[in-house]
Amino acid sequence: MDTRMLGERRVVFEPNYENAVEVKDLHKSFRLPTERSWGLKQAIFNRIRGIKGYKDQKVLRGLNFQIKKGEFVGIVGRNGSGKSTLLKILAGIYYPSKGEILINGNLVPFIELGVGFNPDLTGRENVYLNGALLGFSNKEMDAMYDDIWDFAELKEFQDQKLKNYSSGMQVRLAFSIAIRAKGDILVLDEVLAVGDAAFQQKCNEYFATLKENGQTIILVTHSMDSVKKFCTRAIMIEGGKIVHDGDPAEVSEKYLELFKQK
Amino acid sequence: MIIPNIFYRKNRILLKELTKTDFKLRYQGSVLGYLWALLRPLMMFAILYVVFAKLLRFGSDIPHYPVYLLTGTTLWSFFTECTGQGIQAMLARGELIRKISFPKYIVVASTTFTALINLAINLVVVVVFALINGVTPSLSWLLVPVFVLELYLLALGISFLFGAINVKFRDVASIWDVLIQALFYAVPIIYPIAMVANESQLAAKIILLNPIAQIIQDVRYNLITTETVTTWNFFSNPIAMAVPIAIVVAVIVLGAIYFRRKSKFFAEEV
Repeated sequence: MDTRMLGERRVVFEPNYENAVEVKDLHKSFRLPTERSWGLKQAIFNRIRGIKGYKDQKVLRGLNFQIKKGEFVGIVGRNGSGKSTLLKILAGIYYPSKGEILINGNLVPFIELGVGFNPDLTGRENVYLNGALLGFSNKEMDAMYDDIWDFAELKEFQDQKLKNYSSGMQVRLAFSIAIRAKGDILVLDEVLAVGDAAFQQKCNEYFATLKENGQTIILVTHSMDSVKKFCTRAIMIEGGKIVHDGDPAEVSEKYLELFKQK
Repeated sequence: MIIPNIFYRKNRILLKELTKTDFKLRYQGSVLGYLWALLRPLMMFAILYVVFAKLLRFGSDIPHYPVYLLTGTTLWSFFTECTGQGIQAMLARGELIRKISFPKYIVVASTTFTALINLAINLVVVVVFALINGVTPSLSWLLVPVFVLELYLLALGISFLFGAINVKFRDVASIWDVLIQALFYAVPIIYPIAMVANESQLAAKIILLNPIAQIIQDVRYNLITTETVTTWNFFSNPIAMAVPIAIVVAVIVLGAIYFRRKSKFFAEEV
């Protein structure tokens, strides 16, 4: 009935094992509709005429890498190279088409800040909802709660509805939840550039502490400054394949060369 | 992993939090707030009562006919609310599905739970009406939750099945909207089933094999009056009683399997 192939993503909890993430021969293709209208009528019509009605778009073509515990890995590449798809597969949002993924520990993904934020709920209610979506219980959220508001510096607004927050305030709250969330592996998609200069400074300090404490972090970014400043290793993806993997400074150079060639 | 694990702590927390949010948001910003959840079915009942019981004189031979009618409309309101919102649930929560990984059935479960809470409150109103109307409380009332559960499972199965198809083919929600209009008249809510039986035994038999009709009649029988037709006493044949139950089981099993298989691609398609 459904001819799409599936790879495997497994989550284990083995504190003594040195790798946090293992990716073996990872492929991902998306099924994109070729027709302009895609309703039930079109689907039945296609079936009768024997037309597929879609084409398979290959986004990732055989990735292999391992991430050790405590590594701060930057994933770079130009738009459309497949980095966000990789992140979504690591986070378990997309299923791999082929290959194997092993996640060792509790992975907390931030593909976007403030997932599930609802403008009609108060700041407090949103924090608990967001926490539940990230897999934290009310009790665990109680423990983090004050910390989150202190870091966001928005405590006096906690019982206001979110729609009365400025967009900058919303992002700060979301980011504060993100960095207070304690997971074994943090996955971040371009979230470093939020807030004003003072907030930026705070975030940078926080990342530096995380790095010192040996937190495993996977970061997708276009900022080579962040890569050089925080990452212990960088991976560059081009056309769905890994083209460079290694020292952040070297990979940053290669990334910048990519744009000089044109 | 074969059966989605509702007892897994993370899933339970998320289910609770989403249901709470759904419930909170639905009536926010309205003056009467939660009362609307009660007023809507009561308004529907009032209209049907005036038209069918007063003007067309339906059900004059059924004891406690107003409550009898209210029971039917309440259960029907639940069924339409539950399936309508259950089918749309994946699209309504598309933002979440694209951004975070969690078992997708939680979205359908939280939406249908909200409808179930509404039903519970509406049933309290039905019981109050029944007592005012002079229905004597009896032990058979305790059987009502069993039939409510049967109705919920049917609605849940339909939500799983059509909700999963609806992610890709958005026509399904519209088709269901039309279908449910027709279904309303195929179920003895406004007309007494005895009226059909007088005209045609066969038609009455076919109607009573529909699980919704079976459930509504069984609830009326156990809650209000034993002087009513049920699938059980009309056929007096255990095999006939098994038909509506088999339909419910088939729908929930098929729905759950199909949903589970398709849910792996929801994040890409929604």
